[in-house]
Amino acid sequence: MSNVSNVPPRGLFARLFEPPRIGAMAPGAKFIVYTLLLAWSAFVLFPIYWLLITSVKSAADVNGGPVYIPFVDFIPSLHAWRELFVVDYADTLRAYVNSIIISLAATALAVLIGSMAAYALARIRYQPNLITILLFVLVMAAALFAIGSYGVDWRLVLVVGVGIFYFLSKAVASRVHVPLANGDILFWMISQRILAPIVVVVPIYMMFQSVRMLDTHLAIILTYAVVNLPIVIWLMYDFFNSIPKDLEESAQLDGATMIMTFREIVLPLSRAGLAATTLLVMILCWNEYLLALFLSTAKAQTMPILVAAMNAGERGILWWSMSVVIIVMIIPVVFMAIVLQRYISKGVLLGAVKG
Amino acid sequence: MTSTTGRVVNSQPGYLPADNSQPPSRRFRFNEWLDGHARQLFITPAVVMILIFSIFPLVASLIIAFSRVRLKAGGYQVRFVGFQNFSKQIFGSEQFHFLGTFTSLTFLGWAVALSATGAILWWMFRYITTGFSVVGFIGRLITALVILGISWMFAATFFSGNPFGTLGVTLFYVFIGCAIQFIIGLALAFLCSQPIRGRNFFRVVFFIPMMITPIGVGYLFRMMADTTKGPFSPAWQWFGLNDFAWAANPWTARLFIIIGDSWQWIPFIFIILLAAFENIPRDYVEAGQVDGASNWQIFREISWPQVMPVAVTVMLIRVIEGFKIVDLPNIMTSGGPGIATESMSLHSLFAWRSLDLGQSAAIAYLLLFVTVVICVSFFNLIVVNRMRRI
Amino acid sequence: MNTDMTSASETDTLASDAKRLSIRKMNKHYGEFHAVKDLDIEVEPGEFLVLLGPSGCGKSTALRMIAGLEEITSGEVIMGDRDVTHVLPKYRDIAMVFQSYALYPHKTVAENIGFPLKVTGVPEEQRNKAVFDAAAQVQMETLLERFPRELSGGQRQRVALARAIIRRPSAFLMDEPLSNLDAKLRGFMRAELKHMQHELGVTTIYVTHDQIEAMTLAHRVAIMKDGELQQLGTPAEVYTNPVNLFVAGFMGSPPMNFLEGNVSESGLQVGNDKIPLDGVEDGMAITLGFRPEDASVVEAGQGRFDAMVYTAEMTGDLTLVTVKHGSSILTIKMPKDFMVDYNQNVGIQFDSELSYLFSTGDGARLKANVVDS
Repeated sequence: MSNVSNVPPRGLFARLFEPPRIGAMAPGAKFIVYTLLLAWSAFVLFPIYWLLITSVKSAADVNGGPVYIPFVDFIPSLHAWRELFVVDYADTLRAYVNSIIISLAATALAVLIGSMAAYALARIRYQPNLITILLFVLVMAAALFAIGSYGVDWRLVLVVGVGIFYFLSKAVASRVHVPLANGDILFWMISQRILAPIVVVVPIYMMFQSVRMLDTHLAIILTYAVVNLPIVIWLMYDFFNSIPKDLEESAQLDGATMIMTFREIVLPLSRAGLAATTLLVMILCWNEYLLALFLSTAKAQTMPILVAAMNAGERGILWWSMSVVIIVMIIPVVFMAIVLQRYISKGVLLGAVKG
Repeated sequence: MTSTTGRVVNSQPGYLPADNSQPPSRRFRFNEWLDGHARQLFITPAVVMILIFSIFPLVASLIIAFSRVRLKAGGYQVRFVGFQNFSKQIFGSEQFHFLGTFTSLTFLGWAVALSATGAILWWMFRYITTGFSVVGFIGRLITALVILGISWMFAATFFSGNPFGTLGVTLFYVFIGCAIQFIIGLALAFLCSQPIRGRNFFRVVFFIPMMITPIGVGYLFRMMADTTKGPFSPAWQWFGLNDFAWAANPWTARLFIIIGDSWQWIPFIFIILLAAFENIPRDYVEAGQVDGASNWQIFREISWPQVMPVAVTVMLIRVIEGFKIVDLPNIMTSGGPGIATESMSLHSLFAWRSLDLGQSAAIAYLLLFVTVVICVSFFNLIVVNRMRRI
Repeated sequence: MNTDMTSASETDTLASDAKRLSIRKMNKHYGEFHAVKDLDIEVEPGEFLVLLGPSGCGKSTALRMIAGLEEITSGEVIMGDRDVTHVLPKYRDIAMVFQSYALYPHKTVAENIGFPLKVTGVPEEQRNKAVFDAAAQVQMETLLERFPRELSGGQRQRVALARAIIRRPSAFLMDEPLSNLDAKLRGFMRAELKHMQHELGVTTIYVTHDQIEAMTLAHRVAIMKDGELQQLGTPAEVYTNPVNLFVAGFMGSPPMNFLEGNVSESGLQVGNDKIPLDGVEDGMAITLGFRPEDASVVEAGQGRFDAMVYTAEMTGDLTLVTVKHGSSILTIKMPKDFMVDYNQNVGIQFDSELSYLFSTGDGARLKANVVDS
């Protein structure tokens, strides 16, 4: 078959888009690639540059039209930084500490509970009964309806509801068995991520209100942990599945309990997956705004609320202070990324997405 | 959950001497008990948490959506009102807000509506004639009805020159926004997978926006877009657009929100697709080079098919998250001008703020319904289909 | 493979296309690391040349440079009369079979085989016919609609071969193509590969670390070590006349036996026995080598030196006796009915004509020999 062209073309186009030598890039391609990448870098970096310089501008510099280069266009001042960290340091510090406590605790909780569930789903076969689940949901709906519409006391409803559910599941579910598989449980757990926070936030708000837990750390921690649980389960399930079973089986033969196996063998082997998951969940918790807006009023306010708080009052938006808060918020995330980065093999997210 | 765990080894601790006359310690017995219940122990916390904070609120929200909730001393009063909250949004006084303003269809509106209807009918007809299963049919029927409704909605509003409501705005953010983000994210990932210098620099820089809080991004882009005091104001003045304001026109306001959203979310798509590109075995590309394929052919025939399953899943995730959009329109435009940039989440949030809990829950449920139908259709009709080929 | 699969006329026209491949003073540096050093090989038209060496010896790098996948630091590659040193792989008219086969997982067998023609714009009808012919040549014509994941290792290997032959290239390059197969299949595919190369008559360069593959497949073997060519010759030459200690030790299974020592009084002291040598000077550090099949186990005191039996393994067609002498372990091939006890003292006899002497220091072969006493 001699129609294979084995003569390199020689035109202008070829000279621009054929690599001049092996392993090199064509000059035309190179130009296009660097142009695009640098253009996007500018698009990404310019707003961040603007953020940085706004944080050292005075109100007059911001409101008097754009000035671009510190010391040339304007004299930078640390007044916004001083205001936040010297004058109003109590508020700033509280929000900062709140944010740190809440995102660390919520991440730890989500990662712990999520990876336990993911491990169980990856290694143990479950066969829950669909009928039991349907009964549970029906009883819960009836209970809520009773509380909502007729004002029955929730403690009474809880007791009666548990009783009815127990009775029904003994009576019906033991006769009719529609088994579900691990895949169904996994899908159910991961699909919780579809819920927009707005769908569930009002009942959660009411729930915490009725037990007087609004504006506490615990309320936000629990909510954040559950919202991010699907991500943890999804990423870690895939990761655990990719770990060979031999090591765990060997540990079991040596007499280790399942909890010991999980703690001593599985978790250390999953460092890369845990690091990636932790980082992702941490970023999401750290930056969350809507749920925090509902669940905190004063004591438990987090940094994103503080950002929004700079747009309050008769003074308009305090762009300089807001910039400071946003910059201060980026720092711990970058720090976490650097700390966890060496554990993260870039394949972790990819593996889960492929599965 | 009565079946055995299949891990007999542990229930007979072999490391205890056989003639041990002392009873096992309390601690040991506790550990044994824990191990015997490990099956339940591992999964129960997650199930309980999801039941309490996800399923319970979901059911409660459903009840609220069918009720009128009144605050009263020491609690709430909930009155069941049937579909009233939903019908108000879809047919009643809030229709303009949720679906849009309907007058009569223009010629273009009719054309779009009829061609969409024809296409959907043809799609259903082809499915019935080629293969048929009850579940598949019902699933496709729901998909078809939702898409039909959406296309008539757009035909009657957008294509007939009327403003559309929060449903249309949300879909606009999701589909146009995600499409833009996908194309740019894919392009950047492909470029960064080339043998270029400074790859790590670009990788780090491109990732930064993901680290910034969405609300911060919202305010940041408000600064960027300010045509009088923002960094680009000289450029606007040079173009003679002194009076121009992004947030004043519905389309520029929407575009402005999509730009902010893309700035924040392209990194996510970029980072995963870059990993996917770098994960392609080098042999595949080299085999293509030896076999005489051009760079474009290698991308088209080898790299892209390898990356596509990942790309489709990433887009599914992005679409799911995209439906939740609320912070950016809230911060950047407060849903304005009018309701032009109000997403369904924001619509629900505003209803909650005016203490109309029933409406708020009804809108949230409508959002959930649309999200689930579109995501499940996308998953079943596209993702599963694509996965099968790989 | 049945010979009637390929018509005679087809093979004739192909054989005439075969090109000479000259590799001249080819070098590869990775920074400080010198991966390939002054490689000089002339591959005759239609020849099957095997590049043999341990892992990391630069043989794969050399092959990738010939393919154009790796830039050549210095030297040149000439195909026929054309200098292709700096030509992109797609213009070199070569086909390559990768160790992983590099079958595209999203393409069917037919699409995989037809890919080289598709990218060069061969019309579909013509392409389909060529695909069928190429698939038939490797007996894969019934599995054309399958995906690679639905094939066994051996079948994937065949698809990779079909993809290589479909374009009728002027050279085949193969990078350890059989190393992912199990032992039995490997033997079978080896025979098929050799037959096919003979039928097609295409110049072939084949990289392997398996000396049996090299011996059985090659017209000529090029043995490499640390980026340097050690010896180039027919399998028989390389086996019977190794130029140095490395080549001698690398070829043959079980490998050649070596005894190290210093020459004293024109002989090599081995335990209580002395092996007299000719052509060496006293004090030289030398290594004496002989092949397992050129030696025999005899009564203690009857051989050239004594050693202790370590194990005896019956392999079916023969018995491998391993003996220990000092720190060296030696293997002797004996008839299958040979019986010996463990830890027994035995004598080792070997043929002086078929023994080799090397300088221990640089490994070079010495012009010296063992003297029959």
